[in-house]
Amino acid sequence: MKVLLSWLKEYVDIGHGIDELGERLPMLGIGVDSIERVRDDAAFDLEVAANRGDLMCHLGVARELAAATRIAARPPAGNPRTDSTTASDFVRVEVREPALCPRFTAALIVDVKVGPSPEWMARRLEACGVRSINNVVDVTNYVMLELGQPMHAFDYDLVQDGRLVVRLAAPGERLTTLDGVDRSLDPQTLVVADAGRAAGIAGIIGGANTEIRASTRRVLLEAASWHPPLIRRTGKRLGVRTESGARFERGIDTGAVLSASLRAQQLIQEVAGGRVLSGTLDVYPSPQPKHQVQMAWPSVARLLGTAVAQADGVAILRSLGCEVQEGHANLVVTVPSFRRDVERVEDLVEDVARHYGYERIPEHMPVEETALASRAPVLEAERIVRGVLIRAGLTEALTVSLTTPAVLDGLRLPADHPWRSMVPLRNPLIKDHTHLRTTLLPGLLQVARVNVSRRVTDAQIFELGRTFHPSGTSVAERRRLALLMTGRVLRGAWNVPPEVAVASYFHLKGAVESLLHELRVGGAVFAAAPVPWLHPARGATMSLDGRTVGTLGELHPEVAAAYDLPSSVHVAELDLEVLLPRANFLPQFVPLPRFPAVRRDLAAIIADDVPAAEVERLIAEAGGSLLASVELFDVYTGPPVPAGHHNLAYALSFRSSERTLSAEEVDAAVRRITETLTRRLRAKIRR
Amino acid sequence: MTTSKPKDLDKIAREAQRAILDAASLDALEEARRAYLGRRGLVAQLFDQVPSLPAAQRPQAGRQLNELRDRLERAVTRRREELQAAAPGTGLAAEAIDVTLPGRRISLGRQHILTRTLEEIERIFFGMGFEIVDGTEVETDEFNFERLNMGRDHPARDTQDSFYLADDLLLRTHTTVVDAHVMVGRTPPMRVLSTGRCYRRDAPDATHMPVFHQADGFMVGERITMADLKGVLAAFVRRMFGSEAVYRFVPSYFPFTEPSAELAIWFNGRWLELAGSGMFHPRVLEMAGIDPARYTAFAFGLGVDRPAMVRYGIPDIRLFWDNDLRLLEQF
Repeated sequence: MKVLLSWLKEYVDIGHGIDELGERLPMLGIGVDSIERVRDDAAFDLEVAANRGDLMCHLGVARELAAATRIAARPPAGNPRTDSTTASDFVRVEVREPALCPRFTAALIVDVKVGPSPEWMARRLEACGVRSINNVVDVTNYVMLELGQPMHAFDYDLVQDGRLVVRLAAPGERLTTLDGVDRSLDPQTLVVADAGRAAGIAGIIGGANTEIRASTRRVLLEAASWHPPLIRRTGKRLGVRTESGARFERGIDTGAVLSASLRAQQLIQEVAGGRVLSGTLDVYPSPQPKHQVQMAWPSVARLLGTAVAQADGVAILRSLGCEVQEGHANLVVTVPSFRRDVERVEDLVEDVARHYGYERIPEHMPVEETALASRAPVLEAERIVRGVLIRAGLTEALTVSLTTPAVLDGLRLPADHPWRSMVPLRNPLIKDHTHLRTTLLPGLLQVARVNVSRRVTDAQIFELGRTFHPSGTSVAERRRLALLMTGRVLRGAWNVPPEVAVASYFHLKGAVESLLHELRVGGAVFAAAPVPWLHPARGATMSLDGRTVGTLGELHPEVAAAYDLPSSVHVAELDLEVLLPRANFLPQFVPLPRFPAVRRDLAAIIADDVPAAEVERLIAEAGGSLLASVELFDVYTGPPVPAGHHNLAYALSFRSSERTLSAEEVDAAVRRITETLTRRLRAKIRR
Repeated sequence: MTTSKPKDLDKIAREAQRAILDAASLDALEEARRAYLGRRGLVAQLFDQVPSLPAAQRPQAGRQLNELRDRLERAVTRRREELQAAAPGTGLAAEAIDVTLPGRRISLGRQHILTRTLEEIERIFFGMGFEIVDGTEVETDEFNFERLNMGRDHPARDTQDSFYLADDLLLRTHTTVVDAHVMVGRTPPMRVLSTGRCYRRDAPDATHMPVFHQADGFMVGERITMADLKGVLAAFVRRMFGSEAVYRFVPSYFPFTEPSAELAIWFNGRWLELAGSGMFHPRVLEMAGIDPARYTAFAFGLGVDRPAMVRYGIPDIRLFWDNDLRLLEQF
């Protein structure tokens, strides 16, 4: 909302320069978006809080500026010279919805000459962003900018039977509004109608059928107060934002509707001539008594943490328009009708604080009983997970949790896949954000696509975030983790074989294993499995205690193609809701070995289709308690190993915590292992 | 047979050292070694004389000869290494590397600049004794709005246009909703902070995203005031932006606080909004089951994304979500 410095000065003396005023207004709680200088004047574009309808006009802003120096603003006069004829002989008003229209006034001005406004008025309006139309309409806008009371002027001779009826629209009723739009109204819309038809949408916009035109001689002037939620809902429903609506939805001064009308009548008389008929019609069935608030003065210090002199506080409240009865440390404050926001003592404390100066409130560190600072365990766990992956060389990405079902098609998901069950937004804004994500993978793939398209082809990234799933009538949130690796993992990789330097399934698995290791989660089972978005022969699931935690593997070539990615992209996604509860963040000391380990190497030729995990499981089983570790150090395919087989070489380490092992004991254990592998897997042991 | 004096030994030692150091080739070194340390070398000859010495002198003479032999052997070894290293194509010289070749570098992972900013904020408030809690992103209308004193038709809802999932279910528009949950069923004092994603129905542009981050904290007690709010937030500003940071508190409006204040810092020639704050409205405390006659509370909600943009000079908020690795690696 714009205010002019010269206009404000009609109601308050302002000693400050333009820049100083621009600094002072925010200190009072009135935001300044911009200042536009016009010759020696300035237009301030103000940001008015949603609860301060009273600041939507020059007088309101002037009141705040006056209170800053503990004086009151000077409101303009509204004393039209009235004719002996009475308006009620020509005009009838009927308010059928008094709850939605607490007050409605109508005045009649006759023998008006419609024409252009005087230059001073037109210039002020335009400086405030309001187009000048004609002298009568301009007066209604002028008074709105001056006092905050929106108004509407009808051509009396176009209003059927001289009647104004406030009622809900009839089904199918139509109205062409002043913006030229032909609107279909519904029974939730409140209209101001004449005897037969709607003539305006209450509080928001007038109708073309009764508008002021050059030939208008008799002006029927409406000034009313409307129920703010009604105006807000109607404006939103119709998609119409007007200056009038912006004020009514914050709430105007119902107590001052009549005086605003009188002010407008006087101005119309001044700029368009004519005679004001006496007796403005005023339908105000239940006038609101002024609100009173009991204010114990110590409550100011209790909230602010500093003592404000009671005399200064009283002066502040009085200059803001309150009546204050002073008792000993107890005030009874009568709140002016324009301050609809003031309900209780805290609101008055804020008024006192604003004018006392927030900058004068000291900075103080709280003196309270303290508890130990803490972090929710799940947040601590998240931090650890993030840290492990970063140490493993992955970079954290963040992607938007809003998505669309179409992204799942790119993952080759079958129609009945659980991720297809998505939570839709009731009121999406853009077509790419219609649902909540059920997986982090499409987001990471999109990140990879963006980077690869910019020739950033080495990407090892992860996201730790939430996915959302329908759960009865509610929504379940799950913490998930996704990893993506493609391109080089090693820089300066000259003479380094690509299986080491370039991300592969095994690099991805290594990152997952590092995570498991750091969370001290044992017993993870990796098994080849068909996963829709993964390469059919290079995908796996990971499970713990028989519960699937997630999947990992090379991206299916079709999925890679759909995301414009090279063929060698590896992705994993894990459900942290399964993983984290199994994590152990409090490791216990394990005694360091006191006796030396005995190492034996074992090489076994085994059919390709036997998973390495199975070989390792059998070694561990047969090796018994003395077998301390099993580490695969070579996989060899080619002569002399027969086709369909490979040679697996393991370093076995044997140790006892009680004694140095004898060669015989170790030999016996190795023998058990070789026998088991031979018997169970038809392995050939190489010597 | 002459009796060798210590003086003679020193002379022999010097001559031997000189011969070893002067040896210009491995062959010359071997010759010198043989002359002094060989089976018929000078040192061996001296050892042969020891038995002929008076009994009282023998132990000392033996010890001196041993020391001399050890010293010379070390000198020979060292000189041999030098000669070997210098000889082209032989020994350690053949193991030379080009020390200017690029190093093998495992690419280092990085934390996203936004989650790092959130952690920084958490750390600062943790240091002031705050309890860092978690909340959900899907919320009920009751908690997100009603319990924060924003009824159905509250105009403030316009600035927090929300994504609804069902009649009473929406994506939280602010982390303040976590405060409303945490207060229920607890007895003051409390000081609590939560951070995370929030959602508002804003079309993506250079300064808006429908998803953004907030850090929201509050403190409840019997003597909590605006002065405490200013103290805590000023401490935060100094820790986050440096002790010389210029900041101000100006009046503002939030339905859930009264009085309300906005915290801004002076950055690059303009005021940058950092937080909305204030004293919790008594109705908010009442709805959470806390007696406003006994307790007061301050609350604040810090923006994260826009201050991070300004702080790091990032011109477009969408760059955070673009995840160009060349950008992420700059921070």
